Amino acid sequence: MPDTAPQFLGLPLFAWVILLPLVGAFVNLVLGRWLSRQTVHVVAVGVVVAAFAIALCAIFFPSGDWSLLYKFKHRTDEASPEVVAHLFSWIQVGTPNDSWFLNIGMDFRLDTLSSVMVLIITGVGSLIHLYSTGYMSDEKRYSAYFGYLNLFTGSMLILVLAANMPVMFIGWEGVGLCSFLLIGFWFENPDYATAGRKAFVVNRIGDFAFLLGMFLLWYVLNHGQSLAPGLDFADLRSDAAQHVYTMKDGFFGTDRWATIIGILLFIGACGKSAQIPLYVWLPDAMAGPTPVSALIHAATMVTAGVYMVCRLGFLFAASTTAMMVVATIGTATALIAAFYAFAQTDMKKVLAYSTVSQLGFMFAAAGTGNWVAAIFHLGTHAFFKAGLFLGAGSVMHGMAGSGDITKMGGLKKHMPITRATFLIYCLAIAGFPLLSGFFSKDEILGGLWALGHWGHHPEGWPDWYGNFLWITLLIAALGTAVYMWRLYFLVFEGEERSETAEHAHESPWTMWVPLAVLALLAAFAGVIGLPHLTGTKLPWFTHALSSWLAPSIDEATELALHNSDNATYELMGVASLVGIAGIGIAWWLYGRGPSKKVETWTAEGHLLHEPYIASKNKLWVDELYDLVIVRPFRAVARGLFEIVDRFIIDTVFVGGWAFLVGILSRISRWVQNGQVQRYIVGIVIGAAAIFFFASRGHHAGIAYREIPQGVELKADPGAGLSGVGVKYRWDVDNDGQWDKKPDAAADDTSDAAYIDTPTRLVRRGDIGSEVTLWIIPKSGGKGETVTEAIVFAPSEGSK
Amino acid sequence: MSDLFTHVGYGHFLALSAVLFTIGVAGVLLRRNILIIMMSIELMLNAANLTILTFARMHGDLSGHSFALIVIAVAAAEVAVGLAIVVALFRGRRHVDVDRITMLKH
Amino acid sequence: MKRVVLALLILVGLVAIAQAQGAAPSPAPAGVTHTVVAPMGQPGVSTPPTDVDTGSGAWMALLFWTFAGVAVLGSIFVITRRNLIAAVMGMVATFFAIAVLYMMLYASFLAVIQMLVYAGAIMVLFVFVIMVLNKPEDEPWGLVGLPGKALAGLAMLYLLVRAVGVLWNVTPPDQKVAMDAPPQIVVSWREQPKLNDPRPTDQNGLVPVSERYDFGSTAAVGNSLFGEYVFPFEAISILLLIAVVGAIAIARPLKDDHDQPGVS
Repeated sequence: MPDTAPQFLGLPLFAWVILLPLVGAFVNLVLGRWLSRQTVHVVAVGVVVAAFAIALCAIFFPSGDWSLLYKFKHRTDEASPEVVAHLFSWIQVGTPNDSWFLNIGMDFRLDTLSSVMVLIITGVGSLIHLYSTGYMSDEKRYSAYFGYLNLFTGSMLILVLAANMPVMFIGWEGVGLCSFLLIGFWFENPDYATAGRKAFVVNRIGDFAFLLGMFLLWYVLNHGQSLAPGLDFADLRSDAAQHVYTMKDGFFGTDRWATIIGILLFIGACGKSAQIPLYVWLPDAMAGPTPVSALIHAATMVTAGVYMVCRLGFLFAASTTAMMVVATIGTATALIAAFYAFAQTDMKKVLAYSTVSQLGFMFAAAGTGNWVAAIFHLGTHAFFKAGLFLGAGSVMHGMAGSGDITKMGGLKKHMPITRATFLIYCLAIAGFPLLSGFFSKDEILGGLWALGHWGHHPEGWPDWYGNFLWITLLIAALGTAVYMWRLYFLVFEGEERSETAEHAHESPWTMWVPLAVLALLAAFAGVIGLPHLTGTKLPWFTHALSSWLAPSIDEATELALHNSDNATYELMGVASLVGIAGIGIAWWLYGRGPSKKVETWTAEGHLLHEPYIASKNKLWVDELYDLVIVRPFRAVARGLFEIVDRFIIDTVFVGGWAFLVGILSRISRWVQNGQVQRYIVGIVIGAAAIFFFASRGHHAGIAYREIPQGVELKADPGAGLSGVGVKYRWDVDNDGQWDKKPDAAADDTSDAAYIDTPTRLVRRGDIGSEVTLWIIPKSGGKGETVTEAIVFAPSEGSK
Repeated sequence: MSDLFTHVGYGHFLALSAVLFTIGVAGVLLRRNILIIMMSIELMLNAANLTILTFARMHGDLSGHSFALIVIAVAAAEVAVGLAIVVALFRGRRHVDVDRITMLKH
Repeated sequence: MKRVVLALLILVGLVAIAQAQGAAPSPAPAGVTHTVVAPMGQPGVSTPPTDVDTGSGAWMALLFWTFAGVAVLGSIFVITRRNLIAAVMGMVATFFAIAVLYMMLYASFLAVIQMLVYAGAIMVLFVFVIMVLNKPEDEPWGLVGLPGKALAGLAMLYLLVRAVGVLWNVTPPDQKVAMDAPPQIVVSWREQPKLNDPRPTDQNGLVPVSERYDFGSTAAVGNSLFGEYVFPFEAISILLLIAVVGAIAIARPLKDDHDQPGVS
């Protein structure tokens, strides 16, 4: 169960892991221009190293009962050991009783999976920060660079330490932003700026899918019953939620919720981790400084997708379709990216495609339920890929900024340390036995083999699929070895092919020390993830990784992926063979420099020419996207601009009002032109208007009051001035006849016989139930008739 | 209908005064010479006078006559001052065209 | 000439319209006839007829129509003539006709005053000024701002029709006074007895005298003016003084300016 974290300055200890890099970012970005270079890089490197130290403390060193390792080692609680920090309530809508209760808190959780990621991020991050102080020493925007780098580190830490999906999304977006800022760091060059933009836009597409998946997940779990009001991972892992994932959804009828949610989230992961179809930004991202490529595009940001998939493994495992999608795309990407890497001539481009390919490996593992292998490969890949990039940076530094391998060669004489470390990395990535890459790749391949032969697969999983994936990935591994060693031979072996190569020099200590450390890690880190061998008793630390990750990643969702010992040894042998064979092929072709054989094979008219051109042009995928997506989008934007913005808003509405005001003012100006007669016109019109409005009166009425002599009735013609020429006819006694004057004859019907006064004084007894008054204009017309019942106030009897 | 012409009552006088007043207003609005305009104003005053006297007769009240006398005196004063202004205006610009006198514009 | 006839026809038409509004009489329990205003000049109940009331109603009507026509024609003259002196002549004719109408309304004093002041003094003043600035305008009807004037003309027509409609149906509050010849004014006071005065005195030794004046005669109007309305009378005298001073002040030539009479 979650623990109350030890506090430091009011925050749990591991929260400082996130906070320190963010503080460093703030200092460097806001105050950077007034700080000296010394201060800037001390602050920047210092915060990350401090974060690493604190992370180590929080995770490993026992003191009291607040370390994970202590708990882990002593199994003080059965449930997953973890530390949760709830900082504040971020978004809250509604009350717990509402079905739409949304309660997202700013929560962070340090558990075994996130601790692995934290160590990688802060550890490799500190090395890269140190490296940057040497590499970017000539940069004039020094503080901005380190500020962005710290910001990135902080965002990535938020991502991995988040306890719920919205907070993870904060980190997700943050790393996307920093990626954009850092890729386009030298934005004065428009190509670099475009590369940054491309990265951001493609990322955004993935983010959109991620958001949709998140919304759908929330909807599914929270309408009707509030299972996960804040999308907390603990809630998402619960049994009740699991039940929901396996329910059929209404969208596609027979498919489960988990399918559509999983696929949407995976598309988000594709955007972040550069899988098909959203990988196009990664090769262009090499426009950024090399340490950035090392940190972001090798070790950390691109692994965010893998982390997310593993974190939500239970969700993916609930849907076979989603798993197959993940595995298939991962494998396809691994293969195709390897295909691209053969023909590249820029060092960093080769490494970029290699990254894409290795990420494909990780997703292939995740897609088959082999979460531990995916994370293991993530870690080892972080070490050797970061090392490769830093080594490339070192080479470029020595080559005065150029990364073109056609101009390199024979650098082993000039840059021995770089060459040695680079060699180790290449061995690791090729899967040379006993290095870290070997073990991690072997875990992946072993899992696939087990799946293909004796794993139990969920329904809908074809029997042959595991084998198919195994073969494909093996081919990709062969390709990996070949192109990586092609790179090595062309850069370090053979003869120098240009002036610059002859004058290359080794890099300063700030650059080769990280290389050395990473080389050590790349070589020996594999020891914690050895395969399970039932026959041999291996020390406990060789299974540390899988045991460590077990509480955070549900074992129950793993497909049974354990091979027998024999099978394991065979597979290891096959993998070693493949790796060594790849090295051999590369040595055969490129051992002494650019290969004449390859040149002839790929020349015009020969067999490999077409594939070579296709590889060099990346299968024209970028051009395809440009044609199908970017251009129509641009056309629509331009159309909207012209029609809506220019015409409707500017011309019609804004211009229209101005025009209207002009017209009105022209009319109003007529009134005052200085001529007296014009003003008299106004007077006359006003007089006529007064006459008009004064004549529209209210309805006629009878007013009455009681006076000592009787009741006084008063006629109110109510028609204003027209009331002057009217005559009145009364019917007070309600007999239906006009009242006649007392001295008029009974049959006299002339006008003089009727009572025609506006006021009348009658006795109370003469009043009938109703009094009717006719008001007739003398000039003709109907006039009005008013009927009223005379009512007196009860007590006083007068109005 | 012939009664209308053979028997003349108060309404006739009042209608006549209304007509004279209207003609006066028309003169004020339509003519451009200031003197004609002033004469039209006099016409309007006369129409008002006629109305007052008709009502005085109707009510048998002599106050109306005093009122009308005051009106005549006021009209005389107004004409005197007005013509003095006209003379002063004419001195400067040698015309008395109302349409061209626009000093009230700003 | 054509314009005059046209204007007259329009006038008559308007009057007819104003009169003939509405059609059937209102539905009443008993039949109703048009109210007919009692003709003037018929012998009343209270006072004997005065010499203004000679003749039957038809003669009075003829008198009225004649001079009403002269008044209207004269005023149309005023507003349509280009020649200023012609306009002045029209004005004088109007004033004369109105004076006659005043006579018909038993306002004899005011009729004479009208002729004396208006036609005798004010019009002479106009003639003098015309003499100073004898400049006929180019066009009697200015076309500038015609829409405004047309609008005003319509408003004026509307006013005319409505006003006539209202005025036509004015009911005198006291029918007897309205219909008969106006009552004589009785003024009574007490005065010191003269030498060998045969008139009786009252207990204070003063002779009560009462005199009767005709309605609208000089004595009656004078009695009213110097009795009840002495304050407005005095105010008017001050007003006239101010007008005289003001006129001189405005029309006085400036020091270094000598005006030329009537050169165009």
